[in-house]
Amino acid sequence: MSITLETEHSIKKKYPKRHNHYGFRDFFQFDPDKGTIVDWNGSQNILTTEDFIVGLVEGLQEEVGDASAATMYTIGCEWGTKDAFFFEKWFEKEFDRNVRQTNLMFLLETWWWPFTAQGWGRWEVDMGDRKQGFMFINIFDSAVARTLGDVGKPVCYLYAGLFAGFFTELVKKQLSCIEIQCYSMGETYCKFLLGGQDRIDAAAFWMNEGATARDIEKRLRAGDILR
Amino acid sequence: MIWNESLNTIDEIRPPRFYAIHIHTFVQRIALLREFTMLSQLERLSREVDGRYASDAELTFMIDYVRSFNLRVQTYQKLQELESTIIQQTYNRMRSIDPQIFVGVNREDLTRKCLYDMTCGLRATATAVLLNDLDTLQERLLFWLQTIMRSLGKTHTCDVLYSSLQEVVKQHLTPPQANLVCPILELNRRILGSVT
Repeated sequence: MSITLETEHSIKKKYPKRHNHYGFRDFFQFDPDKGTIVDWNGSQNILTTEDFIVGLVEGLQEEVGDASAATMYTIGCEWGTKDAFFFEKWFEKEFDRNVRQTNLMFLLETWWWPFTAQGWGRWEVDMGDRKQGFMFINIFDSAVARTLGDVGKPVCYLYAGLFAGFFTELVKKQLSCIEIQCYSMGETYCKFLLGGQDRIDAAAFWMNEGATARDIEKRLRAGDILR
Repeated sequence: MIWNESLNTIDEIRPPRFYAIHIHTFVQRIALLREFTMLSQLERLSREVDGRYASDAELTFMIDYVRSFNLRVQTYQKLQELESTIIQQTYNRMRSIDPQIFVGVNREDLTRKCLYDMTCGLRATATAVLLNDLDTLQERLLFWLQTIMRSLGKTHTCDVLYSSLQEVVKQHLTPPQANLVCPILELNRRILGSVT
């Protein structure tokens, strides 16, 4: 977890333009006197256990029932939207370049690296279908799915919301996201579909009908959407 | 000369020289290095032997390290001393392999950037030789750089770069020195130069 603060990071102060700063001891600055962990971009981090994630997911389920998925997604969306502004600021400061004048894949890798360092998992972006208005993101080692284990359904609503919020802000166009394959369904990694609401609704419908991620990919590529 | 053109930039990241020869001095150096790097194996040992003595097997890496220490320092200093020559010769070799290798997708000249990256890679490799610490090299540089190189479509350049560097350093180092450096350059090549 991280909260944005205006705090100075001592290694960053010494090497402000260093880009390879994602090693554990470089990215995080531990201050035992203040009891804080501040990362390279000035966010205060809190270390949590898997029990915390279980508590968050199950507690929410108990409080709001089936609405917990939508609640997690909405939290993710707001997080992603805010992070897009935060990212724009630190990216421009670090690289002396506007995000819109930067190679897109490089930009996205740079956005995700702090998340990787914080334990949210590695990712892979598949932009092969972006001209058709959708794209896929794979997450390896999702913190939520890894914690909950095989529960037979997708659980990474927080991630889906995060991607929807961030990419909506990045491309200035309303985008939604759905997890179409999850480690918690017994798969080896999580797969997210990002696109307009019509495609996400179609994917959700097909999933309810028992479609696999591969089926959904095929149908989208074939231009199959709900009428 | 290309090298001279980029000398100012490259000079800014020149690491401190290491003159440590004796173990006692080296231990003091470790204390200084801990500020910005972790000697993974020593740290692991100190964690694992909490409340007991280390076994002979657990001490093997330290004994091996002490035995190879002088060679590591000599190799490190040789790389430092020959850096500009190695970089220039690697640059020439890469161009002879692929004349377009320093030309970007928009026909821009990437020479300066590539020389900078090459120098950073060589210095990180030299540090890994000195400290015998591949974990830190991977954690601090290679895993990150792999994603960046892939995102920029530069895996082919990395493949050619780290193959060429191996050929060039072999010409300047003794076989025992090259045996310390080349496996690390090969690790760089495999991590940065592969598409998947």
